[in-house]
Amino acid sequence: MIRLANGVALCAVLTFTSLMNAAEPLSQAMDGAIERAEPKFKDLASSRCDDGTFLRRISVDLIGRVPTSSEVRTFLVATQPDKRAQWVDRLLANPDHAWYWAQVLDAWWMERLPGKNTDASAWVTYLRESLAANKGLDALVAEIVAADGVDPAQRARARFLLDRDMEPTLVVRDISRLFLGANLQCAQCHDHPRIDGYKQEHFHGLMAYFNRTYLFDDPKLKKKVLGEKADGDVTFQSVFDPKKVTRKRSPGLPNGPERQDPMLTKEQLYVSAPAKDVRGIPKHSRRALLAGDLVTAGREPMARNLANRIWAQVMGKGMIHPLDQIHGDNMASNPELLEIMTKAMLDGGFKLRPMLRAIVLSDAYQRSSMPRGKEKKAEDRLLMARLRPLNPEQVGYSILAASGYDEAEAKALGTKATPAALQAKREASARPFINTLAPPAGNPDGFEPRLEQALFMSNHAHIQQFLSPRDGNLAARMLAQKDSGKAAEELYLSVLARLPDESERGDVAASFQSADRSVAVRDLIWALLASAEFRFVS
Amino acid sequence: MGELRGCGSIEHTISRRAAMGVLAAGSAMAFNGNALAAPLTHQNKRVLMVFLAGGVSQLETWDPKPGAPTGGPFRAIPTSVTGTHVSELLPHTAMQMHRLALVRGINTAEDDHGKGSYIMHTGRKQEPSVAYPHLGSLVARMVAEPDNPLPGYLHVQPGGGGGSSAGDAAFLGPRFGSVNISDGKPPVNIDLPNGLTQARDDSRHSMRRKADARFLATRNTAETEAYTQTHDQARQMMAKKALFDVTNEPDRLAGGYGRHDFGRHCLLARRLLEGGAPFVKVTHTNYDTHHENFDFHIERMGEFDRTFATLLEDLHQRGLLSSTLVMVISEFGRTPNINRNYGRDHWSKAWSVALAGQGIVPGAVTGKTNAQGTAVVDRQVNGGHLFATYFKALGLDPTKKHYIDQRPIPMTDPAASPIAEILA
Repeated sequence: MIRLANGVALCAVLTFTSLMNAAEPLSQAMDGAIERAEPKFKDLASSRCDDGTFLRRISVDLIGRVPTSSEVRTFLVATQPDKRAQWVDRLLANPDHAWYWAQVLDAWWMERLPGKNTDASAWVTYLRESLAANKGLDALVAEIVAADGVDPAQRARARFLLDRDMEPTLVVRDISRLFLGANLQCAQCHDHPRIDGYKQEHFHGLMAYFNRTYLFDDPKLKKKVLGEKADGDVTFQSVFDPKKVTRKRSPGLPNGPERQDPMLTKEQLYVSAPAKDVRGIPKHSRRALLAGDLVTAGREPMARNLANRIWAQVMGKGMIHPLDQIHGDNMASNPELLEIMTKAMLDGGFKLRPMLRAIVLSDAYQRSSMPRGKEKKAEDRLLMARLRPLNPEQVGYSILAASGYDEAEAKALGTKATPAALQAKREASARPFINTLAPPAGNPDGFEPRLEQALFMSNHAHIQQFLSPRDGNLAARMLAQKDSGKAAEELYLSVLARLPDESERGDVAASFQSADRSVAVRDLIWALLASAEFRFVS
Repeated sequence: MGELRGCGSIEHTISRRAAMGVLAAGSAMAFNGNALAAPLTHQNKRVLMVFLAGGVSQLETWDPKPGAPTGGPFRAIPTSVTGTHVSELLPHTAMQMHRLALVRGINTAEDDHGKGSYIMHTGRKQEPSVAYPHLGSLVARMVAEPDNPLPGYLHVQPGGGGGSSAGDAAFLGPRFGSVNISDGKPPVNIDLPNGLTQARDDSRHSMRRKADARFLATRNTAETEAYTQTHDQARQMMAKKALFDVTNEPDRLAGGYGRHDFGRHCLLARRLLEGGAPFVKVTHTNYDTHHENFDFHIERMGEFDRTFATLLEDLHQRGLLSSTLVMVISEFGRTPNINRNYGRDHWSKAWSVALAGQGIVPGAVTGKTNAQGTAVVDRQVNGGHLFATYFKALGLDPTKKHYIDQRPIPMTDPAASPIAEILA
């Protein structure tokens, strides 16, 4: 089953790796589905990636940065047969895991919209605390949807709605797209012209959960919160309908049952009736109903969407592509695999860490990105790993890690170098990189390299500081080496998580002959940070 | 960028992303550097594409129908070409009509923004199996001098930025993708940092390229190409940064172009073309007038008309016009029917574009629509005919083929021939 890179099969190693996978039945199930989809899988699949490559992958995917040179050294010489699984668990237990993945969820769900009405960093903290506490992602989504922003202790979770100004069309579009994997935007005015499964009633069924909610500028709290009325119905017409038949829609998930309002008398409608200065609180909240429905009737589409997105995040492309086009005519690249992961999401209570663990310990994730033959669409068929770009956060934090900024800061802070203090420093220093690489606000992350980004990397003052020697960082470590070979090792291990080859050692040696070593070191580090090998996960 | 109209859907939002559409699976084809047909002859020709994003109304511009029930409130005015009339919203352009050719019989049969834009940029309808390159990328590949330091396909657009540039070039490779000049400003960070000499910059880029050559020798994808290209493009831009300084222009001329974004962008476009850019596209937005079509066209044409007339005259005065193919296009036209919001909706069945310059017969008019503007009654053409016409105008052979994986792909739609009557 597993062929080593140099083609030699070692039975002992095979046994050990089987032992390792046996500890992760979900990984095995996933690999089984992948193998079954390809009749000649064993002959076509690339071999397993080497240790340095694996370490770099799990570091960027689980904690958002490349490994340090000492981490690489430690991992390469370790001999435990299950060292890969051990290191995965080490990373998952690292506080940086929740810290990084909170930023991933933030990018997914807020798409870098500004904190117009709420504190954007408090929201990320809320996501981080939720992940650190192992909260199920379904419960997290329910909290976000039900939030009203009134209680200061819970205001952060209301960002999703408040920073979209509770604009109902935008909110419905984003909920359908981000939580249910179905972009219903085009189904607002008519049934989707191209996708059979996206109907106007689906859009308006979601709209009906929100139509009574409104943005309220609370004069006492002096901030925007959400109020809700107890009346108001959703009606709609299709612009393609010449007869202009008006239809009414009660709240309901796509393809789910319509929720009727309870029969309440006029006196029973409100906990607090809306007035000019008073936020409306109805006895029956349609928005709270959505929170409940998403985790019950909506569990399966939520699970499928999350499974697809988590897979896409660490594998480079979703099983269903694009991510917001889950529907009957858009086949998953491996339907069995998607259903296995969906079921795992449902059975596992929507927890993120076990899903990540299973994926990164699968053979599929650990496959080399070097093609074995000339098979077409080898990456889509999971015969080889996809060469994929780092996302903006990964680039920012990896530039810091690779240049040794993290180590230099830790040294400088000394006893004050708590994880939180270091995270704060890293966030601030990575921010200019992240901002330059991020798409315009309101757009999902996607890889679209722009001229401006190259100019930033080349010429902006910000990157220069990381290239200057500072106690503990890469430039300092390189300059401290008398032997250019050792300096070359430090450089390549820190930036590219591998040892340099002969030619690369030669280049570093030649650079070191020049008049000003610190200039040589700056330019060597810069050249590798700007290289494709750094920019991509291979 | 644009205003949300209609259902606020992506089709109705004017964003570059929407305008460029979603390229089909073919665009993910790995760029494998296959040998393409040898570059065709290039003799200092260039292209200026003015893209009116959203769908400009032909009835309020090139093909007015005053008095018709669908004609709207504006009159038609005579132009510098006897017998040719345009909307009264184009008084200055009317005086340049002797330089322009009009194609009034266009039927592209595609009312979707993204798909209509695709047809007008690639000369083909969107196909699931192959993504075709933009005209700009083709020109960058086949007309530009190989050692031209400027990127071959420049797009001057109002702010925003985002959007795939590498994808425009499809199988030609990201090197020929469009490079966005956001809001016509010189790219930020165009100067080397303090203390870094040109020699050092050369040296560190040479190290970077060496590292990339090693890494990408065995696995090169469209994405890695797109990434490495941005560094090379950055260096090229740095070398040419003087071109971006429109403040260097005489004040009177700048006034003639108009002291608004579109005016400045067109002035920049002229500088870039003059500086050797092979293909410059300038986008003017907000033409998707489902509401208040007439007011919006007063406002839009108010900007477009004088700017475009100044630009044509300026190109002519500098001796550039005869070797610059100029086109004013959109993704489609607008409905003769006026809706209840005083708007016109998308209309690809009978609309117009204007051309000038290299290879074009000045003053020629081809194609006729009926009295209401609801159908083409004479010389109907589609995006393929236009594309073949551009090729011929530039001295390129529209029947030539690309060879991708030894598979021949015609450069233009074989079913559509050039519009001979407007070709010089």
